[in-house]
Parts: sequence; C-alpha cells; structure tokens
Amino acid sequence: MAELQTIRFRLNGRPVELAVQPYETLVEALRRGFQMYSVRESCGQGLCGCCTVNVDGRAVSGCLYLAVLVDGCDVQTVEGLGTLNQLSPVQEAFVECEGFQCGFCTPGMIMMATQLLQENPDPTDEEIKHYMSGNLCRCAAYPEIIAAVHRAAEKLRAQTAAGNTPATAIMAQR
Amino acid sequence: MSKVLESGVPAGTEQGQVGRAVKRLESQAKVTGRAEYIHNLEVPGMLHAKVVRSTIAHARIRGIDTQEAKELPGVYDVITGEDILKVIPDPYYGPAFHDQPILALDKVRHVGEPVAVVLATDVHVADRATDLVEIDYEELEPLFHEVESAKSETTFVHDVIRPAGTFADLKTLQPRAKTNVSMEYHLRNGDLDAAFAKADRVFEHTFRSQQVSHLPLEPIVTLAQLTDTGNLLIHTASQSPSFVRIEVARLLGWPENKVRVRTAYLGGGFGAKLYIKLEALVAALALITQRPVRLSLTMEEQFYTITRHAATVTIRTGVTNDGRIVARDCKTWWNGGAYADIGPRVTQKSGFTAAGPYDIEAVSLDSYAVYTNLPPAGALRGFGIPQLVWAYESQADIIARELGIDPLEFRRKNILRNGRPHATGTVMEDVGTVEVLEELARKMRWDEPFDHGSGPIRRGRGLAIGIKAAVSPTTSVAFVNLYSDGSCGVYCGTVDMGQGSDTAMAQIAADVLGLEAESVRVIHPDTEVTPYDMATLGSRSTFHMGNAVRLAAEDAKRQMVALCAEQTGFAPEALAVQDGGVAAPDGSFFTYGDILARRFGMQAGNVLGVGSYFPYYKKPDATTGMSDHITPYWMVGGSGVEVEVDTETGKVRIVRLVTVGDCGKAINPGIVKRQLSGASFMQMGFTLFEEMVFDEGQVVNASMADYKIPGFWDLPEQNEVSIVEVPHRNGPFGAKGIGETGSLGLSPAVANAVYDAVGVRIYETPLTPERVLRALREQQGRVWGDA
Amino acid sequence: MNPFQLLQPETLEEALSLLNTDDPSVRPVAGGTALMLMMKSKVFTPHTLVSLQRLKPSLSGIRLDDAGDLHLGPLASLRDVERSPVVAEFTPVITQAMQTLSNVRVRNVATVGGHLAHGDPHMDLPPILMALDARVRISGQAGEREVALPEFLTGYYTTVLNPSELITDVVVPALPNGLSGTYLKYTALSADDWPMCGVAAFVRMQGGVVAEARVAVSAATERPVRLTGVESFLRGRRPAAEAFEEAAELAAAGVHPLADIRGSSGYKREIVKVCVRRALEQALAARTRNGGVAHE
Repeated sequence: MAELQTIRFRLNGRPVELAVQPYETLVEALRRGFQMYSVRESCGQGLCGCCTVNVDGRAVSGCLYLAVLVDGCDVQTVEGLGTLNQLSPVQEAFVECEGFQCGFCTPGMIMMATQLLQENPDPTDEEIKHYMSGNLCRCAAYPEIIAAVHRAAEKLRAQTAAGNTPATAIMAQR
Repeated sequence: MSKVLESGVPAGTEQGQVGRAVKRLESQAKVTGRAEYIHNLEVPGMLHAKVVRSTIAHARIRGIDTQEAKELPGVYDVITGEDILKVIPDPYYGPAFHDQPILALDKVRHVGEPVAVVLATDVHVADRATDLVEIDYEELEPLFHEVESAKSETTFVHDVIRPAGTFADLKTLQPRAKTNVSMEYHLRNGDLDAAFAKADRVFEHTFRSQQVSHLPLEPIVTLAQLTDTGNLLIHTASQSPSFVRIEVARLLGWPENKVRVRTAYLGGGFGAKLYIKLEALVAALALITQRPVRLSLTMEEQFYTITRHAATVTIRTGVTNDGRIVARDCKTWWNGGAYADIGPRVTQKSGFTAAGPYDIEAVSLDSYAVYTNLPPAGALRGFGIPQLVWAYESQADIIARELGIDPLEFRRKNILRNGRPHATGTVMEDVGTVEVLEELARKMRWDEPFDHGSGPIRRGRGLAIGIKAAVSPTTSVAFVNLYSDGSCGVYCGTVDMGQGSDTAMAQIAADVLGLEAESVRVIHPDTEVTPYDMATLGSRSTFHMGNAVRLAAEDAKRQMVALCAEQTGFAPEALAVQDGGVAAPDGSFFTYGDILARRFGMQAGNVLGVGSYFPYYKKPDATTGMSDHITPYWMVGGSGVEVEVDTETGKVRIVRLVTVGDCGKAINPGIVKRQLSGASFMQMGFTLFEEMVFDEGQVVNASMADYKIPGFWDLPEQNEVSIVEVPHRNGPFGAKGIGETGSLGLSPAVANAVYDAVGVRIYETPLTPERVLRALREQQGRVWGDA
Repeated sequence: MNPFQLLQPETLEEALSLLNTDDPSVRPVAGGTALMLMMKSKVFTPHTLVSLQRLKPSLSGIRLDDAGDLHLGPLASLRDVERSPVVAEFTPVITQAMQTLSNVRVRNVATVGGHLAHGDPHMDLPPILMALDARVRISGQAGEREVALPEFLTGYYTTVLNPSELITDVVVPALPNGLSGTYLKYTALSADDWPMCGVAAFVRMQGGVVAEARVAVSAATERPVRLTGVESFLRGRRPAAEAFEEAAELAAAGVHPLADIRGSSGYKREIVKVCVRRALEQALAARTRNGGVAHE
C-alpha cells in the first residue's frame, strides 16, 4: 500500500483536509471523505458527466482526476450551489422545465450548465449542445435540459440586471 | 392533444389531481443531489466485493486457485461456488428457470460469468486481487447464434433445464434435456393453408435485431447485511423488491419474513434491474462473512450481466391484391444468452403479438427461447415487442409498396379494431389502434406532398405502429394510511426509476381523498413496510398499482366517511370528501385529523386503507396458444420519422421524429409526454448505432467509449409527441401504461423512411452508415472490397 | 487502480532527472485523462508517476513569435487552445476543431503535449497540426531536439519520444497568405463518438489554380498521415469537381484503414474518399468564410 497523503482544499467554500491514497480519484475522495453523493461514478471514463466537479472554476471529470491534485484548490459540487429550500437559479430551472427523469445524471448536468452560463450568459441551442455534449442522460431528457438551460439563463440575466454579479447570481440567493 | 373520450369512464374528480401538471415530488431532491440511491449507501464494517469473471464462453472448470489472491494484504476472503454451496445447497436461481448458479459450478456458460468473488475493505485491493485468481478451463464448443443453437443436437448450454414454476402462465413447463430451446410458444388460429390459398401474393422475409445493453447510469448495486437476529437486510437497486425477497428466501429455505428487501430511487432501470441480479450472491456473501457486503458493478460488468435479446424473425404473409392481409405465419428465435432470466416470458408474452395490430383471418406463430453462450438477455423497455414490430412493420411497408398501395392506407385497411378478436382470440376493448394511427398520419401530414431532395442527401419518411399486451397475470397491493393529523402516506412497492410513479400514485390517492398531490408522501419499497407488488416492469404500474392505490384510497375514504357519519349522525351518502376532510350537508366541515381526534379523544390513531388489484386473466390453451383473456389491456404506439440519408456515407439522420402513444388517461400529462419521448430517443440508439459486438463471446465494446448511446447532438431537429387518450374501462381513471409505448415503432419507421429516401431495404438493426451504404452499393452493383 | 507514488517536481530539470531511469513503469503525467483510463483498466500499472502540473506556469504559454510562428506550450490545456485569441487569429480551424474534441471537462484538463504524446490516431489536433507543418520540440537529459510531426508520430499509439523525454514546445510555422482550410470529422456511431475519419485540408489559390494543397488524414489510419501524393496532384490544377474527385480517389488508394467496430477497412476507405473530397471543397469555400470545421 502506498503512503497516504494529506491534502487541504476548499470544498464548497469551506476549508477541509483529507488523507488520500495517491491512486484515489476525486470522486472517490469526495464521497468517502465528505459524503458528496451528488458526485457519481458511472462510465468511469469521463464520458457521461455524472462525476462532474468544479476545480478552481473549471469543470472536470472526478473519475479521471486524482484526488491529490486538488491540494490547495477550490472544489465545488452541486451541494454547494443550493439547498432543498433555496435552489440556485439553474436548479430552479431544472425543476421548472422537468429537466430530468431518474435524476442520476442531474447534478452533473447542473454543474455543466452552471459553468456554461458563467461563460456565456445567453447560449443558443447549438452552444448548449456543444457545451453539454459530454453529459449523457439515458432517460434522454435532453429537450427538457436544453429548455432548462435557457430558462436558467433568463433567471440569471434578471438577477444581473437587478445588480447581482454573475458569480453571486449563480448561487442560491439567501 | 388528441383525445377520444368514451362515456361511462370516470374522469378525474373536481379536485382535479389526476390530469394536473404536478411537478415530480422528488424534484428538489434530484436537483440538489440529495435523492437517495442505493449507489450512495455505505454501512460501517462493510466489505467490498469484486467479481472474478469467466474469460471463456463455454468451458468446464477444472480448478480454481485462490491462494495468491487470498494472500494479498488487505484481502478478507476469496469465495467460490463451492463456498456458496455450504450456505445454499441448491444455489440456482432465476425467475423462469432455476438455471443460474450464484457462482459458477463445474461449468461456465458465457464470458463474464461470475466464477469467484474477492472481498476486501478497500475496493481497490479487492479489484487488484481478482487478477490473482487462476482458473483452469477445459474449453467446450460455444454457440452464439440463436437459430444455430436451436438446431444444435450435439452441444448444449445446459444439461438439464429446470423450470422455476414461479409464474402462473409458465406453470406447465416441464424439465428438458438435450436441447437449447428452453421454452416455446405456439399459436394456431384459423385454417392457415386455406387462408394462404386465398392470398394473391405471399411475402416471406427474415429480420434480425441485435443484442443491446440497457446501460442505466446508476450501476447495478446491492448491499446485504445480517440483522441483530440473523435475518437478512438487502438494500438493492431493484425494480422488483418483492420478487427478490421471495427468491432469496426460497434459496435459503427461509420464510419470507426473515428477508427484508428495500430500495430507493433508481438511477434508471429499463429492465436491467429486474427480478434477481446481484442479490442472491451478495446475500450469500453476507451470510458467509457475517459482515455487510456491497457489490457495485462497473459499466463494463453491466454488459455481461443483462442485455436485450437479439432475435431472428421469419415472417410469411399472404395478401390479396386489394391489400387485405389474410394469413400470417411468423417464427421467432430469441437469443436468450446463457441463462433464461425472463426470456421465456418474453417468448410467450411477446410471441403472441407477433402478428401485429392487424385483423388477420388465419395466424400461426412460433416463438422459441434459445440458450446460447452469450451474456443473459432479459426485458428491455418493450419486453421483446420492438424486435417483433421491427419485423412486421418493415414487412408491412414492403408489401404495401409491392402492391402499389400507400403504406398508411395498407395499415388502415388491416388495422385491428375494437370489438374484433386478436389472433389470440381476445376481443379488443378500449384499444387505441385506429386513434394512434390516425393521429400519426395527421402529425406526419402524410397526405401532403413530400420533397425527397436531390444530390447526395436524400430525404424520406416512414411510419410504423406497434401493439403490446400488458404482462399478465400480475398483482399489486397498496396501503393508503391517513395519519392522526390527517396527512397521507401511500405505501406501494412500485419503484420510481425516473418514470415518475411516486408522483402519479400521489395524484391518484390525492384525487380520491380530496388532497393536494404535493402533500401526499409516497413510501418507497421496503418489503417490511410496503405490501407486495409483482415488479416495476412492462408499463404495468400505472394500471395495476394505480388501481391498487385507488382502491386503497377509496377504502380509507370509506372508513373516514363512516367515522364521520357516526360522529355527526348524517348518512354516509350525504357526506362528501373534499379539501382533506369531510363536508356535511349542514355546511360543517371536519378535517381527517378532526375526525380521528374525535374518535380517539386526542391526536391519535390512523385509518389504513388497503387495495389489491389482480386483473382477470386466462392462460393460453396448451395446443392452440389462444385465450379469450390474454391481457388486461393493450398498449399502442406509433412512430413517424423524416430522415436524411447521405448516399455517399450511408449516414441516416432523423430530422423529424413524431411519437404517438395511447395512455388511456394521462394521470400527469407532462410525465407521460417525457416517457414517450425518452423511450423514443432510447430506441433511436438501438435503431441507428447501439450494438454489442462480440468476439468469441467477449464484448468488444463493453464501455461507453465504444458502446455509444444517444447524446445531445443526436436529437432530431424536430421532436413532437402526441398523447392519445382512449380510456380503458378497468384502468384507474381510464389510464394504461405508457413507459414502453414510445419504443415500439421507431426502428421500422426509420427503415421505412430510409427506403422511401433511397430505395434500399435494411433487414437488420442497427442501421449503421456502413450497413446502409453497403445496401446502396449492392443495389448499384459496386460494393467495395477490403482495403 | 494499482498503487503508485506521485512525484510533483517544480522544474523541468527536476522532472527530466526523475524520468531519467531504466524503470519502464515511471511515466510523466500531465492532464492524465488518457493515462487514468489506462491505469483504471490496468493496461498500465506504473510504480511512479511524475506529475507535470507544477511546471504549468512555464510551459503553458500560447504565443506568436517575431517570425509569426505559433507556439503552443505543451502544458496548455486543450481548452486554453480553444479559447485563445492568438490561436483563433492564427487559424480558426484549430479553434473550431477544439469544440468537438471529446468534451469540455476533458479539454479543461487534457494538455497539448499529452494529446500528441499519447499517439492515439483518433485525436483531432494531430492531423491539423500536421497539415500546418508543425514541429515538436523535445527535451531530455541529453539535450534538445526538434522533430516534425510526421516523424514524431511513428505508429499506432507510438511516438518518437523516449521515456525520459518531454515535449517542451509545439511550433506551427506562420501560415502563408491566402491559405484557407477546414477540419472534417466523420463519426460512425453517435455524434459525440470518436472520429472514424478526420481530414484536415488547406488550400492556397493563385491565378485560378491550386498553388498549394495540404491534406492530412487521421483515425481511419493507424497514425495521422500527410497525403503528399494528393497534394502534388492538386498543385497547379483548377479546383474543379473532377480534380477533387480524382484527388479523393488517390487519397483512398493510398490509405490502409484498420477494421474495427466502427467500420470495415473497405468502408473506411470509402469514407476517406468522401471526406477528402468534401474537405477540399470546404477548404476552398472557407476562403470566403475564414476557415471552419465540419462534423459529418
């Protein structure tokens, strides 16, 4: 067995630390250490998007990312976006547009959509497909997901028009 | 929305919970990532299991050497079939046949078959140790193709085939030996020879469907543990917790009450998580180790665990020159893989629908469940029907074009109408065949001219309609509990795997009880809490469990009204249920909580309504295969597509997709619509590119890198869904199932559209670019050679 | 995954010295997307991985030099390349090809160097870079060398890199005026599948005839290849349909595709033919719309 390495990073805004095996993936570490069950390994090859995690503002596949590499980083999961009672605008939009069926791929979809809207506040269908094409939904709720991204974009634009910065608008409003 | 309402069928009440656009009850849970899946479950002291799998398709096991694996630091134990025998002396399981050993004993029958299990607290250690288990095989001749295997007289996948006797409709099966055909179904209706003699033309074609994977994104997962009293508690991502309990109890020789099976939301099922998958193995491991054991499959392992049947269908049809089908003779061979799973039921239940939704004078059907040395096949969104529709609706177009009749007109001429007997002899009642076909024609604007394009990209359009009988006989039981404050819990064994059953059941109960659907809580399947349900499969839940929930809610309502009548002195008939309580003729109103408080003198007690639903069914006659009550209801689905075919590459692009389904009554229209479109997109993958590719029984593309499923870019530019409502007299509020309806007709609709575009007929799915281009080139007499 | 140790050197020199070993299971790792797949499937079981992550500040630049040559730092992520205004200005073909390469998460992590060093013939950048005459600068303890891409990619998942060497720069020479091009990607299964065939085509016209054509094919072949025969055939010809047709026939005759689940060798050859012809047509059309990418 290789040596454990202690990593320190911010998880959904809070400082944390965890001793990890060098071969442990980010999805394994987040579930084992912090019960971040929104981060799910499905295909194990970075293709389905169920393990989408944000590291230093970039979406990555948690199943292909070594946990040790987030040492010193800012890590975000869906758990950090909103809560049951206070959803983020993207989460609200997914509920309103029914952008899911079984829900297993949903956190990954929401993470990607959130990142997309930070980069591009008013994406076209085409741009949504480009950005989200690495996230798969076996229930095939794709039309509803596209609608949800448009709806979320409207919500975010309304928020920024009301004076919120894009970075705060994307989070649940408390 | 097109709607065909008939008189005498109860619609929703004035509270209108049924038919209301209720958001899924678990919406917030799913978007926050909090929704419970068994995938997330960990318990203290748990061991992880990793399976050592056969690398050979068919072989005798000479020996298994686990020594090196056991010595790897961190390994808790390595278990083989011999160890299983110590806790389960007869370790063969399965819903239709007891043919599948928990771990291989003496023989392996497919690549990927579980042979041994490594247990460790660190899943990586367990995984590493699997490479250290050595298995010595003596290879046997493998059989891969269903037709060849059915004919084999020398090589047999199983020495003896042992029926399970589980299902009433399969009770008469006898053990067999020296054959690979585990079960066969035959239907003989009318004088076939005489009918063929009347035909002006006879058409015969063979169609094939490929083996595909369900591929739910939540991997198949089970965690089993012993309780303090030594009973078993099994947490499992299962579509059929009641069946798991019965089967595990049977294997152990225990009473059912010593086995508790619970589940949570499923991250997709589609038939992959049906009957019994990992549960027997994990339960045995928990018993052997006396520790909690968790086994979660990798994506690769899912490909070796359960698949959809490949099938060969030979269909011979006699028609008159004016386009009437007079005779049909259809033979189907189902590639069941190494273990029967539910294949025999697919063979019978789908088998008897093989003549299609058509009114035919004489019909002969033969359907064979065949063992091969491939991974087991079971039910996948349609229970075998899409493979049959692929054949009869492709052939319908071939015949129509040969006769010079419009394909829609040909179907109109032959469509099976209400009041007419189906090939089985069952008279059609409340079936939306005509309505679905006409709605499809309207949506497709079939009577308008269509531009086929010019240049390398050609356009075509096609349609198809399929029919499916609800699987029967099956039972559902539900409890509706009104708690002491009057709030409501629905206890039912239906598993919500994304189809929205929690929401639908809440709507049904709420409608009866005058509640808001959002205020109803649906308790998830737990055999220690929720009553029996056969399974969540075959689009049966809305009809069967919906009825059980409706009956349970009515029972609770009756009791509550009786209590109130007793308390107020009004006659029960004078009291009305509304807004979560009972209204009396004098204008007074009592909440359910008030009524219970008056009964018990404080906030206490509850009212428990029980509902049980078991529709009438008559099993097919042993000689004719006929029955006048073959199914409680029929599902009808139609698909229409417009495609573009690139004549230089063979690539088919669906640019417009129309899906039409008859749901009887949409309990929740939004969810119904998404079930239809979701099934349609899934079938699009099976139609255009999904295919398990084998090399000597090994799946060459057992990963999402090489087994591609539809993604965002594969969506048709135009996607339209139409719900037809032809209420069923026995359905809850007229409703029928809808989960598979969108799958039925798509594949032949696409092939028919391809023919319309470029004039070539494809007889085998998937319609890959290479297959289409090859057919085009064959037509032109210039096929390529090897490069 | 099997256990391994992860070393994280701070400098190139340190990284090169860690890699300078006879142990074949010591490997450098940049974004790690490809390597993680190999390790998870136990195709590759290293004892030691040398992470290049901390070298990123010095090796991830994307810039034009004074001669107008484009330099892609090997540790630049593919997403950096996709979003770089420098690259977009240099040629929109690269920018647009990036948008359909795998997915955003992979592009966020995978690096230019890893993309090339993996030697996978299904990658999208190598045929484009090859058509643009790119060179790879390599460092080892013994010194530096520069290798043209066709020589760098030696075969199916193999390159000219020694285990102890690292890519330190990717240089794309300044493009001649008037060179327009495209990258055409053909997928056989779902739209987001790996390419079954990728064609990068660039043309430069002068006086109504093709002054220069560059064509590279990937994915259908065991490694990306420049079709020099096709290029010389086209030189000096009018860009008529017949010429492109004939060029496509030449292209198909010159490749030897491997059969796999996505297609037989014969079918792939047909696709190479179609894709080369269409890519040439699009490259020509791109003169007026500033390059592009087509997904078939």
